[in-house]
Amino acid sequence: MYGQLLRAQWLALRLPVVLLAVLGFTLPLLTVTYGGGLEGGPAGRVAQWLFEAQQIGQLIPFFALLAGVLLGIGAWSADHAGKHVYASSLPLSRARYVWLRFAAGATLMLIVVAALLVGALVAVGSVRLPSGVHAYPGQLTVRFLVAAMLCYAIFFAIAASTKRAALAVLGVIGGVVLADVVLWGIGDSTAQVTPTLFMWLTNWPGPLSILIGRWALFDV
Amino acid sequence: MSTAIETRGLAYRAGRDFEIRGLDLAVREGSIYGFLGPNGSGKTTTIRLLLGMLRARAGTIRLLGREVPREMPAVLALTGYVPERPHLYPYLTVDEAERFHAAFFPQFDVGYAAGLRRSFALPGDRRLSSLSKGEMGKLLVLLALAQRPALLVLDEPTDGLDPVVRRDVLAALVDFCSQGRATVFISSHLVHELERICDWVGILDGGALVADLPMQDFKNGIKRLLVAHAPAAAAGAPFAVLRREPEGNEQVWVVRNWEPRMAEWFAASGAELREVADLDLEEGFVELLSSSRAPAA
Repeated sequence: MYGQLLRAQWLALRLPVVLLAVLGFTLPLLTVTYGGGLEGGPAGRVAQWLFEAQQIGQLIPFFALLAGVLLGIGAWSADHAGKHVYASSLPLSRARYVWLRFAAGATLMLIVVAALLVGALVAVGSVRLPSGVHAYPGQLTVRFLVAAMLCYAIFFAIAASTKRAALAVLGVIGGVVLADVVLWGIGDSTAQVTPTLFMWLTNWPGPLSILIGRWALFDV
Repeated sequence: MSTAIETRGLAYRAGRDFEIRGLDLAVREGSIYGFLGPNGSGKTTTIRLLLGMLRARAGTIRLLGREVPREMPAVLALTGYVPERPHLYPYLTVDEAERFHAAFFPQFDVGYAAGLRRSFALPGDRRLSSLSKGEMGKLLVLLALAQRPALLVLDEPTDGLDPVVRRDVLAALVDFCSQGRATVFISSHLVHELERICDWVGILDGGALVADLPMQDFKNGIKRLLVAHAPAAAAGAPFAVLRREPEGNEQVWVVRNWEPRMAEWFAASGAELREVADLDLEEGFVELLSSSRAPAA
């Protein structure tokens, strides 16, 4: 069952998966675009390169988000199109079907993660690092894996839910923003709901904290 | 005799205008049950309730002796389902769709499926998105039959198909039914189509079962009578009067549960039965629906 679901999901999502894999392979390579002749180079140039490499690294959490959105929503697109009639007629519990779908999508995500790892290893192998600078391809890949799976799980769950549940999520977000606008309107500048909530979500131990911070393939 | 499908007091509501009210169904094991009804009468909703795709507000459902929806996976493992609209993944080829389906149904008969594919002339390498409506209809029936189900539920399986494809599909169904003791529950609004294959008929209208009878009774039991000097009331008649209206000096009665010996009742009532005419199935269906919709006198 899992094998057939994985194959079906691959057939449905192979184009985005391949594009994501190419992007995943390319992103780490971009960090070494200007990395030639670093060894023994002036400290200022090394610092500048590190800064640029880290700037490019900041794209990786957005890439994780993109991969999560595409694979999370894509996992359900065929079932949504058929109004879940086929899935409902298969002889397994709904919970088991959801887990099989999730596992199939997660497996496809591993292709993207593997591409990023290969890209990171190629990038590391293509530069001679000056002393004091280290490469972290393994750590970067593990962090990307966790971030991408987190985003995938969130969008998989949203896509799996009913329209009513999706509207409820949007309603909560809209309510939070509206609360801010109302508080701002009555002149209460101390109560900022949206920034507070964002900080809570993105600062450790917030569930989205993995996406924030430095995403460096190279660092001191 | 045990029942393959049994519902008691089944109730469901969708919006303000549609509801299924106290539906009691009993489909005998091994029978071919035609589930008739006009568009919007609730046939598809009933089927979705039976298969656990919708949750009933009240009532109980048992399929193949198991409780729905509590034992749904076990029920679905023994149930072949052909939905009203195609629902398979359009990016798969016919071969891939067959393999996908087989992975979930342990009793899937690959050899039988291959035979059906040949007789249906279905190309294995074609994507489902490029299949014609007829080819898709054949594939859906193929997948359901190759499961070797104990219960086959077909929701308007030939709706919109051309006569040739319809003939092929019905032939495959008849062949399947002749091979074993599977129960077939087939919904349609095409009365004449069910006549050929069903041994029992249920008629649904406005979410209520208005008739549930053997096909033989449905075919032979509904008559149009021409009556002279008709009595004012049909009280005590051994048949059910669906409709009566004047025609010149006589009256036309449309009756149900008719048997030839019942002509004596007219003589005893001082009336004269001048003609007994058969109704075709479609006319009988329309008369049954009309009588169920008529306000109570």
